[in-house]
Amino acid sequence: MDADLLSDTFVALADTMVDDFDVIDFLHMLTDRSARLLSVSAAGVVLADPRGQLRVAAASSDEAGLIELFQVQNDQGPCLDCFRTGQPVTAADLAGPGQRWPRFAASAARAGFRSVDALPMRLRDQVIGALNLFSAGVGPLGLAELRIGQALADVATIGLLQERTVRRAETLAEQLQAALNSRVVIEQAKGKLAERTGLDMNQAFTLLRQRARNTNERLTDVARYVIDSPTADFPPQPRG
Amino acid sequence: MTAGRPAVVWGLVAGHAAAAGRRVSVADVCAVAVGCAQVSGAWVTVSGGRRPDFAVCVTGPTGEQLAELQLTLGEGPCHDVLASAAPVLAADLGDADSGRRWPGFAASAGRLGAGAVFAFPLSVGAIRAGVMGLYRGSPGPLPGTQLGDALILADAATLLLLDGLRHYGDGATVAAGGLPVNGQSPDLALHRAEIDQATGMLTMQLGTGIAEAFARLRAYAYVNDRRLADVASDIVDRRLRLHRDPGGNDAP
Repeated sequence: MDADLLSDTFVALADTMVDDFDVIDFLHMLTDRSARLLSVSAAGVVLADPRGQLRVAAASSDEAGLIELFQVQNDQGPCLDCFRTGQPVTAADLAGPGQRWPRFAASAARAGFRSVDALPMRLRDQVIGALNLFSAGVGPLGLAELRIGQALADVATIGLLQERTVRRAETLAEQLQAALNSRVVIEQAKGKLAERTGLDMNQAFTLLRQRARNTNERLTDVARYVIDSPTADFPPQPRG
Repeated sequence: MTAGRPAVVWGLVAGHAAAAGRRVSVADVCAVAVGCAQVSGAWVTVSGGRRPDFAVCVTGPTGEQLAELQLTLGEGPCHDVLASAAPVLAADLGDADSGRRWPGFAASAGRLGAGAVFAFPLSVGAIRAGVMGLYRGSPGPLPGTQLGDALILADAATLLLLDGLRHYGDGATVAAGGLPVNGQSPDLALHRAEIDQATGMLTMQLGTGIAEAFARLRAYAYVNDRRLADVASDIVDRRLRLHRDPGGNDAP
């Protein structure tokens, strides 16, 4: 593990958690950084929707195979087991014999992944989601990596709660739903931008994020503006 | 996770409508919400573009008063939902938090006999159709399964309102009651990113707002008897384009 990269990651995450930050932008950065830091192929944050579903809040790649992997886990998989038990769940070799999750293993193989670690996002006695780490190679992750992965999952939880003191259970529910709805707003804006520019969804997302970064606006606010604009324009640049 | 719950809840809504011998509407959603969430009453208000918001259904006089009070005062959980696009769950209107946040509403709601008000946005991302409100005489939080059911019912109400939109020249929209949901699963939780992306793409292809683009996407899937996710996938992969309605106001 690269110690500089480690400290750099946590400094960068802490820097993002300023007043009124955008939680989806934050979680996206966290998945990007998690994949790089832990040398895994992809990372994703999945949240438990009280409607009875696990839903992706952010992933280090928009690749369809990866998204499908999250979808499948509403039926079976390490992420679902992690959510149910509140414990880390490892699938060290999804191509090996005697699979616990045959459907999940097949989807993972199609997407090019051989091993997965799911780490719980816990708030007191409640599991609100999981950080998922996917590798093309055989696992498991080392103990040091798992410890850092769990720290990243805990930071994701803190970010999701936006550092507000959660005194009441319903505040958590409100925050979760706000985050899930923001995700939808951003997907809608990506589609609109992609259609206007001819870019693919990943490129459209990069464009949105860069714009929000450059002008210090919330990603979701920029996305809403794009959706409301008949020509998918960005908000007018604040003049300096 | 209880993955099959949306289908169960939707079955209750459809059953309620069938028992009354009518097509499914938000009134059925409100009625089922009272049972599922174990509350005293429910209502749905719609955001009518340039028109003021108004209630399209209420389960009783107290609910109606609570809905109207918030529209009149311009404060309350339902009012805040419009800004936050997330549920606002006021578990105890008598506590200091609520009193500070909604001084007029909390006091009046208490006099009307409401101990708790739970407000849910009827929205899909940037699409906002209205608000569903629930109230209970006694204070206390909404337990997990009741919260889950309320969210599922809010999704159902959202789709019913979007499918029932009637468009007028000035861009204002009102919901016509009693229209059927387009045969599609009302389960927005099973929603995939591609559906949202396709909706965004359609706003440009059709030259419409986001709510209408979503309605057209769902209508296309229904008319062609295809899964919504498959149609969305074709649009995102640029294998399918939808065109402006040649007979409508939006013709190029």
